Amino acid sequence: MEKLLEILDGIRPDVDFVNETKLIDDGILDSFDLVSIISELNDEYDIAIRVTELKPENFNSTEAIMNLVQKLKNNN
Amino acid sequence: MPLFNFNNIKIAGMACAMPSNITKTETFKDLFGTEEVDKFMLMTGITQTRRTSKHQTAADLGYTAAEKLLQHKNIDRSEIGALIFGTHSPDYRRPASAFIIHKRLGLSIDTAVFDISLGCSAMVYGIQALASMMASSNIKKALLIVGDTAGKTTNPLDRASIMLIGEASVAILLEKTEESTPIVSLMRSDGNGYRYLIVPAGGYRNLEASHENEICHDGIERNLHNSMMQGTSVFTFTISDIPKLMKDFWQLTNTTVDDYDCFAFHQANLYILQQIAKKLKIPPEKMPLTLSKFGNTSGASPIVTLCDAFGEVEEKELNTLFCAFGVGLSWGAFSAKINTSDILPIIEDDTYFEEGVINSMKEL
Repeated sequence: MEKLLEILDGIRPDVDFVNETKLIDDGILDSFDLVSIISELNDEYDIAIRVTELKPENFNSTEAIMNLVQKLKNNN
Repeated sequence: MPLFNFNNIKIAGMACAMPSNITKTETFKDLFGTEEVDKFMLMTGITQTRRTSKHQTAADLGYTAAEKLLQHKNIDRSEIGALIFGTHSPDYRRPASAFIIHKRLGLSIDTAVFDISLGCSAMVYGIQALASMMASSNIKKALLIVGDTAGKTTNPLDRASIMLIGEASVAILLEKTEESTPIVSLMRSDGNGYRYLIVPAGGYRNLEASHENEICHDGIERNLHNSMMQGTSVFTFTISDIPKLMKDFWQLTNTTVDDYDCFAFHQANLYILQQIAKKLKIPPEKMPLTLSKFGNTSGASPIVTLCDAFGEVEEKELNTLFCAFGVGLSWGAFSAKINTSDILPIIEDDTYFEEGVINSMKEL
């Protein structure tokens, strides 16, 4: 989780990724943030996030993003 | 997997035409705010684009590019056996715009002429279609024209797209040759992504589609006649499927990144191209970019980029890998040897086919 927080903070240092739970629903992250996050996650965790995974519930919080990463790593 | 080999057909020339009208990206700061526009420029690399005037179309620019190319190469027009125009910005619902270009170029009636309805991937698919026709016929020379004026269907308030789009058309001359200069082409498609890039109205599905603006899921105002792009979906598709396509292409052709002098890629946006280049270990000096000057010029963009980079370069052979991807979803790649002396510098042109503007049925 620490590594993930480091990645997210690197992309949007102004966002409270520890506590926010509506990153997408409340429009805190824009599409440029999201593509940066997807790209970093793919590289860091050696996963391939697909279009079918682009649901708000997968990106609304750091915990949700971590769950998505774990799911994709387990599927690899 | 559709892999095509054309052994005795070469790219004998290419030209590009675009309007002179420049829109600076920073002028959108009043509309969208400084922070948003600065972030856009950083991510996309786009600082300006070119836009056509009200009645100028992709076919006009394509005609200009083709006319200059035929003159430059001193081509006997009666030898052109096929003309394909790849566009999503036709002059009319019918006839196909390729016929307008055919008329204006003064080509013979012994010419096979049609449009291909594709956007960003139109050049890759057009080359395959044209080369296939030539390979199975007595056609010795043929023209592919590709271009779009996507800005005309983009809502001016659509901050996701209005700053992104540039307008241009290109012409490519294919010729049969005795030399062994193979063109190898690989193409893919996924109709599941048909909604990722779409103009919902204008076809025959909904003839009474409303022109009223609505607030979309991304908070941007558009109507059914406007382009809609799900940017994150397109990006996600691109960074996974394009590297895979390239790796498959190299495996099937027994080549590597080192075998190519130049990577002429669709100029989608800077961040996407940087991600693809990083994954494929393509040296930046081998991937020319024109995003900063011309934006995303749809299917024309790989040739726009070659004309910009090599239009003034004398005699130099380039083993080039072309790659394009976008609306459909549709993506593909092909390799070809090109000589820089066959690449014309970018042409600016603001003229249009005045006879083609039909304002009343009584004119017909």
